[in-house]
Amino acid sequence: MIPEDILSTAPLPERFASQAAAMLLEGETPLFTIVGDLDLKGRYNESALVVTDRRTLAFDQYHAGGVYVAEHAQVDKAFVKRMYGNAVLRVALRGEAPRDIFRFTYSVASLCDAAALFAENIAGGGDVRQEFDIVKATFDKKKSFCPKCGRALGQQGAACISCTSKSTLVRKFAKYVRPQLKLMVLCLALSLVTTAMALAPPYVTKTLVDTVIPNKDLNALLMLVAILLSVYIVQYTIGAVRGYFMRIAGDRIVAGLRNDIYEKAQYLPLSFYDKTSTGSVISRVSGDTSTLQAFMLRITQEAIIQFFLMIGIIVIMFLMNWKLTLLSLTPIPLVVLGARYFGKRIAPVYRKIWRRWAAVSSILTDTLPGVRVIKSFTGEQRSAEKFESYNNEWLIEDRKAAKLSNIFPSAVTFFVTCGSLLIWGFGGKWVIQSPQNISVGMLVSFISYAAMFYGPVNFFATLNDTYQNSLTSAQRILDVIDAEPEADFGKGNLVKKVKGKIEFRNVNFSFDRIKKALTNINLVIEPGDIVGIVGTTGSGKSTLVNLIMRFYDAYEGEILVDGVNIKELDLESYRSKIGYVQQEPIMFKDTVFRNIAFSLPDADVEQVIHAADVANAHSFIARLPDGYDTMLGERGVGLSGGERQRLSIARAVLKNPSLLIFDEATAAVDSETEHLIQQAIERLISGRTTLMIAHRLSTLRKANKIVVVDKGEIVEFGSHDELMALKGKYFKLIEIQSMSEKIRAGKEAERFE
Amino acid sequence: MSERTYIEYDNARITRLDGLALRVEMYDGRVFENVEARRLFPITGASRYITLLDEDGVEQAVIRNLKNLEPDSRKAVEETLAQYYLVPKITRVLACTEKYGKLTLKVETDIGEHRFEIKHVNTDIKVLFDGRVFITDSSDNRYEIPGLRKLDKKSLALLSPYL
Ligand SMILES: Nc1ncnc2c1ncn2[C@@H]1O[C@H](COP(=O)(O)OP(=O)(O)OP(=O)(O)O)[C@@H](O)[C@H]1O
Ligand SMILES: [Mg+2]
Repeated sequence: MIPEDILSTAPLPERFASQAAAMLLEGETPLFTIVGDLDLKGRYNESALVVTDRRTLAFDQYHAGGVYVAEHAQVDKAFVKRMYGNAVLRVALRGEAPRDIFRFTYSVASLCDAAALFAENIAGGGDVRQEFDIVKATFDKKKSFCPKCGRALGQQGAACISCTSKSTLVRKFAKYVRPQLKLMVLCLALSLVTTAMALAPPYVTKTLVDTVIPNKDLNALLMLVAILLSVYIVQYTIGAVRGYFMRIAGDRIVAGLRNDIYEKAQYLPLSFYDKTSTGSVISRVSGDTSTLQAFMLRITQEAIIQFFLMIGIIVIMFLMNWKLTLLSLTPIPLVVLGARYFGKRIAPVYRKIWRRWAAVSSILTDTLPGVRVIKSFTGEQRSAEKFESYNNEWLIEDRKAAKLSNIFPSAVTFFVTCGSLLIWGFGGKWVIQSPQNISVGMLVSFISYAAMFYGPVNFFATLNDTYQNSLTSAQRILDVIDAEPEADFGKGNLVKKVKGKIEFRNVNFSFDRIKKALTNINLVIEPGDIVGIVGTTGSGKSTLVNLIMRFYDAYEGEILVDGVNIKELDLESYRSKIGYVQQEPIMFKDTVFRNIAFSLPDADVEQVIHAADVANAHSFIARLPDGYDTMLGERGVGLSGGERQRLSIARAVLKNPSLLIFDEATAAVDSETEHLIQQAIERLISGRTTLMIAHRLSTLRKANKIVVVDKGEIVEFGSHDELMALKGKYFKLIEIQSMSEKIRAGKEAERFE
Repeated sequence: MSERTYIEYDNARITRLDGLALRVEMYDGRVFENVEARRLFPITGASRYITLLDEDGVEQAVIRNLKNLEPDSRKAVEETLAQYYLVPKITRVLACTEKYGKLTLKVETDIGEHRFEIKHVNTDIKVLFDGRVFITDSSDNRYEIPGLRKLDKKSLALLSPYL
C-alpha cells in the first residue's frame, strides 16, 4: 500500500498507486512521490516518481511495463538535467550509461533535484532518515507557495493574504476614504441643499407661465425674480464651498494612496523589480491614484447626489402628471441595456490603454537616465522613433476608448432626447385638447424637469465606464499594495552584535529556475576573516553576497550568521549590521553630505567627515567649490566613478558595520585611486569579517582566505599560499593577472617618462 | 578571439549520440564530440543561429541556418532541439479565469491539454509585433501562441483582455 498521506506534490494517480503497491518488496517503505506532468516524449501526460527507502520507481508509459526501477544501492549518478521549459531526471546505474527516467516541467524541478540527491546519497551510504529530512525540507519549501494562487507565502503553511482575505476592493480602499468621512459627509449635505435648490426654478417657471404672466402681475413677477436670484446665489455659493472641500478630501485620499504605494514599493523584494519596470510602478503612483481618486469621489458624492436628484425629479414629475412622467421614462430600459453592453466592451480597452501607457513611461524611465549612451551612439533619432512607436500604440488604443466612450453617451442622450420629443408631442396635444388638465406652464416646467432628469440618467449610464477604468487602476494599485513584501519572519528578533561567522549550507539558487546561478555552496567564514572572492565575470560572486544581504530569499539550503539562520533574524536590524559597497555605486540627487549620511541619517557632521576621511574622500570633497553641500545630479552625476566609489565606502564606514562586503570597490579607478581606496578599506576592516570581491590581485593582499567561484560553484577555497600550491583556477587567474599587471606597470612608467 | 566556426550547407556532418549529444564532423577534418545544440535566438529566430556547446559550455561552432543543412544533419539537430526546448504551442484557449490579479488558463497545445497559472499578467504575457505571444507561467515554464490571428474567435475573446 502507498499511504494516502505520503509526502507528495499531488495525489498519486490511482493506477500508479496500485502498480507501485504491487511492486513493493517485503519491508520496503515508500517515502515520497512526485507527480509529473510530462511523459518521456515530451507530451502532457501523467507520470510519477515513487521513492522508497530502497528504490526509485519511475512511472511513464514509455518505460517497458510502464515503470523503471532504480535501486538506490546501484545508483552511480543521479541528476536533473535542466532544459528549456522542462527537465529530465537522469540516472546512471553502476556500469551503465545514464538514461532518462522521468521528465517534467519546472513545476516540480526542485523536488526532483532533491530526489536525485537522495538516491545518490543513499547509494553513497547516507542515512535514510537524515537524507529524507532534507527532502522533506524541499517539499516544505514548495509548500511555502500558496497552492491556490502560487504567491510566495511568508512561511510555509501560512495563510495566503490574497486567497483568504475576502475583503473586496471596496473594503481595501475604504481605508483611505474613512479619514475624510466628516468632510465628505459635510460635502454631501451641502450638495443635497444645492440639489434641492436646483429643483426649484422649473416650478417657479410654472407659476410664472400659468398665473403671473396671464394676470399681468408685475409685483408677483418681481417677487419671483427675487426668489430665483436668491436661490441661485445660495446654490452657487454653497457649490463653490463644497467644491473646495471636495478637492481637499480628494487630494488627501490620493496623497494617502501615493504614500502607501511608495512606501510599499520600498519594501518589495528585488525580485519584484527584476520583473516589473519602474515605469509601471511610476504610472501607478501618478496616474492610477488620480483615476481612483476621481472614482471614489464620484461614487461617494456624485452618485448619491444624482440619485437624490433623480428621485426628486421623478417624484415631482409624478405629482405634476403621471402620464407625461411615464412617457419620459420610456427610453430608460434601452439606456440600461446599452450601459451593460458598453461596460463589457470598454473594460478590455482600458486595460490595454494602461499597458500601453506603462510601456511608454517605462521607456521614459529607462532611456532618459541613459541619455549619455544614447548621445554617444548617436541614437537620438532611434530613441525618439521608439518612443513614438510606443506612443502610437497608446494612441491607437486610446482612440478606441475615445470612440466607445463618446459614442455611448451621445447615444444615451439621443434616446433620452427622443423621450422629451414624446413629451413635446403628446403633452402639446394634451395642452391643446384639454387645457383644464395640463396647463402651458406645467408643460414648460415639465420639459425643464425632463431635461434635468437626463443628467442623472447619463451619469448612471456612464458610471460603468468610469467604474471599469478605475477598476483597472485599483487592480494595478493592489498589485503593489498587496504584493508580498520582503519576507521578514524574524521580525523583532533583533541582532545585537554580529561576531561575523558566516556559513553557507548546501545553498542553491536560481534567478529564473532555468539557469542555476549558485550550485551547492558550502562555505564557512570565521569571525575576523578577510575573504577574497574571485572568479570570472558572471560566475556568481555578486549573487553570493546578494544572498548574504538577503536581497533574494528564494534559495535552497541555509545561510547562517553566527550560527543563526539569517532568515530568522529581523531583516532591518540584520542589514543594519552590514556595510555593503556595491559594484555600481549609486548616489541620489542630494548633497554629498546627505548622500554619505544616508546610512546613518542622524549622524553628526564630524562623524560624516570622519567617515569621508577613512574612505579617502574628504580631500576631494574639500576641493569641491560647494564642499559637502555639493548637490549631486541624478544617480550621482557630477562625480567621477572613483569619487562615487569612495563616497559609497564612506557611507558604509559611517554605519560602523560588523560585517563588510565590498563588491569590486576598486573596479573603475586608476592605480593611484585604487591605492587610496585600498588604504581606506584596510583602515576599515581591522577585526571585522570582510568579504571582498575583486578582480585585481593587489586588492586581495590582505585577504587570509580566498574563495574561487566558477559557474556558480565554489571550486577552490583556502589561503593564497594554499591555492597557489594547488596550481588550479586561482593560480591561473593570478598568473594572467600578474602578467597584465606587469604590462600595465610598464605602460604607466612609459607614460610618466 | 579565434574565428568563429560557422556550419553551413555541406561543410559539416552532424549525427546524434546519446541523449542530447551531437557529433560534428567538419569537412576540413575537425571533429567535435558531445556537443549540445542551443538556440541563440529561441524566441525571434528559432531555426537560425544554433550554437553548439561542448560539455563545459564552450562554443565550438555555430549553425547559421538549420534550413541550409544536409537533411540528415538537420534532422539530428532538430530532434535534440525539440527535446531540449519544450515550448508548447497553444492552439486553443478553453478557459481563462482571473482572481486576485492572477490568471488561470486552460489550453489545448500541440502536446496535449494543460492548465497553468500566470502570476503577473503585465509581465508574463508578451506580444511580439508579428502577432506571436509568449507566456511564462508561475513555474517559469514557457508557452507560445504561434499567431493571434490563427486563434479561433472564442480563444481570442477569452484572452484579449490580457494582451
Ligand atoms: N537579476 C538577475 N536575474 C537573472 N539573472 C541574473 C540576475 N543577476 C545576475 N544574474 C545572472 O547570474 C549570474 C551571476 O551573476 P553575478 O552578478 O553574481 O556575477 P559576478 O560574478 O558578480 O560577475 P562580475 O564579476 O561581472 O560582477 C550571471 O550569469 C548573471 O547573468
Ligand atoms: Mg558582480
